[in-house]
Amino acid sequence: MSTPPCVPEAEILFALIRHRYADRLNAEQLAELQKTVEGLVRDLGALRAVAIPDDAEPAQPFIPFRAD
Amino acid sequence: MTVALRTIRELGADLRAGRVSPVTLAEEALQRLDTVGRKLNAVVTLTRERAMQQARRAEQELNAGRDRGPLHGIPYGAKDLLATSDGIPTTWGAAPFKDRCFDYDATVIRRLEDAGAVLVAKLAMVEFAGGMGYRQPNASFTGPGISPWSPDAWSGGSSSGSGSAVGAGLVPFAIGSETWGSILGPSTYCNVTGLRPTYGRVSRHGAMALCWTLDKLGSMALTADDCGLVLDAIAGADPHDATASDRPYRYEAADRDRRFRFGVVRGTVEATEPAVRGVVEDALDTLGDVGSFEEITLPDLPYEPMTRIILWTEGASAFERLIESGAIAGLTAPEDRVTPYSRDVILAKDYLRALRLRGVVARDIDGVLSRFDAIVGPSRGTAGPRLGAEFRSPIRGSFPDLLGAIGNAAGLPAVGVPCGLTPEGMPVGLQLMGRAWEENTILAAARAWQARTPYHRQRPPLA
Repeated sequence: MSTPPCVPEAEILFALIRHRYADRLNAEQLAELQKTVEGLVRDLGALRAVAIPDDAEPAQPFIPFRAD
Repeated sequence: MTVALRTIRELGADLRAGRVSPVTLAEEALQRLDTVGRKLNAVVTLTRERAMQQARRAEQELNAGRDRGPLHGIPYGAKDLLATSDGIPTTWGAAPFKDRCFDYDATVIRRLEDAGAVLVAKLAMVEFAGGMGYRQPNASFTGPGISPWSPDAWSGGSSSGSGSAVGAGLVPFAIGSETWGSILGPSTYCNVTGLRPTYGRVSRHGAMALCWTLDKLGSMALTADDCGLVLDAIAGADPHDATASDRPYRYEAADRDRRFRFGVVRGTVEATEPAVRGVVEDALDTLGDVGSFEEITLPDLPYEPMTRIILWTEGASAFERLIESGAIAGLTAPEDRVTPYSRDVILAKDYLRALRLRGVVARDIDGVLSRFDAIVGPSRGTAGPRLGAEFRSPIRGSFPDLLGAIGNAAGLPAVGVPCGLTPEGMPVGLQLMGRAWEENTILAAARAWQARTPYHRQRPPLA
């Protein structure tokens, strides 16, 4: 049995946005959001295509807290 | 005697020679902000009461021989994302917050008070510092910021009022903020000098957070020298901001007779609009008087997508309550009422990937910059965007800005300096981006450039 064809990522992500917010947006705004999500997915694709060394940690400091 | 288009150095000399008083300077700045500033949509709130109080105190102290330094008695404006007490609203440029007040002063406001500077106005800005996805200049409840160079041209964002107030000579300096382009952009379009310090050089305490790991506060003034004077007053560690560095900073104003080493990233000049490109190429020729050049090629990495993902993700989190409640429906720009919803779908793994790549990029670019005093290139690839039109922006991916993406993601300092006008008479800027914590080096190079060029002294038609 063959697997069904994949739905493009942008469509899946846009469906999630529509699910969450469609009640407060009109058709024109939803269409605009769909274009924005397509651009976002292009950016994510570019980002995921880069090989990052396994030992590259996020450039984000965490500082343990102690009050005294 | 006038405050208009005179530098902090010049006004300071006048104050100490008794040719003008802090009270007179404050009164004139308030008057010009209320007239010219309103026409440029540069002003949110005139802080008249506090200004006169601070000016009178400065006058008494200077008369009594107590000198707090170069900013003593100098009027300034602050971008309206810096918290101010005394019932002075802090609006973030957004209609839903137009009456909101804090009961404390941001660290930067407090430090400038300690330095004797006189706060005369909270200056207009793009709502939420542009993080909502605006595509055209009308994105603030105070109206679109207007450049002093043309009534039809945008002042840039998001530090719109800071740029136009300094550019029109309403205040000698202003505080702006940059997450990606918000100091260098308005500095360019208003023909002023803007300094984006190293991330962590200046405390963000009391400043609106758009993106915790990209936000930086900096100075906008008429000269690189003035920007250094302001940075000297506002830099330093702060117990209220863990990211504010305890690396000491003292502005070094003394010019040494030296030549600088500049890198130019291949493709960055060519990526600008034709009118901008010609001006920048001429400027680079002139910059050759103060230093040598080497063309450099950077690794082929998705710098702009990386910085965008960081900005969008952190912005979505910083404004989560506002977005999810639907309160963004009250924003001015129609696109700001919609675009933020798209950021809900960025996966945590992708955000972390951007942060991991950021570390790689920060190390790579530091290696490149270790051979130079600065990487130079256009501050902005476009000139004089029209008020009623959609502009092109790297934050939305509609125009390239390699240096902005790298410089902001890596937290590097950059100074933007005026470098000429397009054939249509709109300002163009050059940026000098340095290694982390090397503000003094890039300011020295910018001073050397400004000592040889007239561009920062050109007067705009609307001043």
